[in-house]
Amino acid sequence: MKTLISAENLTIQFPIFENSHRSLKKAIFNVSTGGKIGQSAGYPFVTALDDLNFKFEEGSRIGLFGHNGSGKTTLLRVLSGVYAPVKGRLNINGRIASLLDVSMGLDPDATGFENIYLRGILDGLRPARIRSKIDEIAEFTDLGEYLNLPVRTYSSGMMLRLAFAISTSVEADILIMDEWLSVGDQSFSAKASLRLEELIGKSSILIVASHDQSLIERICNRQIVLEQGRIISDQSIPKGSVKSV
Amino acid sequence: MNNKKSKNDLALGICSFRIWGTLGWHDIKQRYRRSILGPFWFTLSTAIMAVVLGVLYSNILNQEIADYLPFLAAGLVVWQFMSTSVLEGCNIFIASSSLIKQIDLPLTVYACRAVWRNFIILLHSLPIVILSLLIFGEMPNEEIFLLPFGLILLALNAVWLTVALGILCARYRDVLPIVSNFIQIAFFFTPVMWSPDILKGRSWIATYNPLYHLIEIVRAPILGKTILIESWYWSISLVFIGFVFSQYLMGRYRNRIAYWL
Repeated sequence: MKTLISAENLTIQFPIFENSHRSLKKAIFNVSTGGKIGQSAGYPFVTALDDLNFKFEEGSRIGLFGHNGSGKTTLLRVLSGVYAPVKGRLNINGRIASLLDVSMGLDPDATGFENIYLRGILDGLRPARIRSKIDEIAEFTDLGEYLNLPVRTYSSGMMLRLAFAISTSVEADILIMDEWLSVGDQSFSAKASLRLEELIGKSSILIVASHDQSLIERICNRQIVLEQGRIISDQSIPKGSVKSV
Repeated sequence: MNNKKSKNDLALGICSFRIWGTLGWHDIKQRYRRSILGPFWFTLSTAIMAVVLGVLYSNILNQEIADYLPFLAAGLVVWQFMSTSVLEGCNIFIASSSLIKQIDLPLTVYACRAVWRNFIILLHSLPIVILSLLIFGEMPNEEIFLLPFGLILLALNAVWLTVALGILCARYRDVLPIVSNFIQIAFFFTPVMWSPDILKGRSWIATYNPLYHLIEIVRAPILGKTILIESWYWSISLVFIGFVFSQYLMGRYRNRIAYWL
C-alpha cells in the first residue's frame, strides 16, 4: 500500500470544562492568536483546526508555517494519532514516527540503557530488536559509561543527546517533527544533522512545523501556512529557491 | 479507522502485554531503586499490619488468634489490592496524560500497567498469609490449587474497573472524591476485619456485597476453605458485566479521552 495521508473537512475542537466558562461566554471571536472560541452544549470550546482538506503523497516534504497557536502542533498531534477528528475524516497509510517531544517517556531515575529499552518497548519493538539497536544508539551518543548511570546525573546536553539518539533510531514511512532538532556542541550538532537528514531521506513523507522560513525552503517541497486553524496558503516550493545553509 | 481503534482498544491493550508488562515491572523497580529491601517492603509492612491488628482485634472480637490472624492477613492483602486499583484507576488516564498526548497506544495499556504493578505487590504480600498459617501449625490443603483462578478473576475485575473509572474520572473530576469516600466506607461493610459468621441475621450485608465475594475467591483457597458457589457466580458475572460496560465506554469515548486531559 502506498504511503498516503488525506484529510477531508478535518476539524478539531477542544472542550473547555473550567468553571469559569461563564465569563468566556462573551468571548471575542477572531482573536489574533489562538483558534476561534465558540460555544456549544453548555461549555465553550476552542476550534484548533477548522475544516482542513489536504492530501500528502509519497515524496511530500511538508513545511507547516504559522503563528503561535495557529494549530501547527495540534495538526502534528492529530497526524500522530493522539487526537481523533471531531468532524471530518483522516486517512493515514503508513507507519508514523513522531519526534514531537524527543524526551518523551524519559525516566530520570532510570539508566541510559534502561531508557533506550523502555522507549523501544513503547514503540512496540521486540526485545531482540531493541538489543540490536542499543549498541548503535550507544555509539552514536558517545556517552560511554554514562549510559549505566541514571539519566538525572546527566547534563542537559547529554540528556538531549540520548533523547535525540533514541527518537531518531526509528524506522517509519511518515516522519512528524516539531521544529528542527538541533542538539549539543558543534561537532555533535553536525553529526546530529547528518543523522536527521538520513532519517528524513528514508521516510517517504515528512511533515515539519517550523517558524524558520529558510529551513522550510531548504528541506521542504511544499509549504502550508496555517492561521487560526485554517489553511490560508498551500503551495509547492519551487526547486530553484533551494538555498544552501 | 478511528472507529476500529476505539472498538478494539480493550482487546489490543490487553494483548500488548509486552508494553504493560515491562512498564509495570519498571514502576516497581523504580519505586524501590535505592532501598535495600525493595519490593519486600510490601511483604514487611503487610506482616507488621497483620500482626498488630491481628493481636488487637482477636482480643476485641474474642476470636481465636490462630484462626483470626490468617483470615485478617488474607483479607487485608486483597483489600489493599482492590482499593489501590480503584483509586489509581480513577487517576490512570490523568496520570498518563503526558504519554497519551505523545504516542498512540491503546489506552487500556495504561490500565493494565497499573493493575500489573499492583498485582506484583499483591504477590509479594501473599507469602505473609501463608506464613501466618504455618506459624499456627496449619498447612494449606488442596483448595490452594484454586488460588490462581481466584487471582486471575480478581485481576480481570481490576482491569475493567480501572478502565471504566479512568474514563469517568478523566471527564468528571468529581468522581475521584466520591469513589474514595465510597471505598473508605465499604471497608467497614466488607468482611475484612470481621468474619461474616458474626453477622447472624444480617448476613445479607456480605451476601450482596460483590467486594466480599472478590475477597473470598482469594481468601478461601488460602485458608483451605471451599469457595462458595455464589462467590464464583458473583466474580465471574462481574467480569462479564464489567467488560461489557467498559467496552461500551471505550467504544463511545475512546477518542474523546485525549481531549479531556
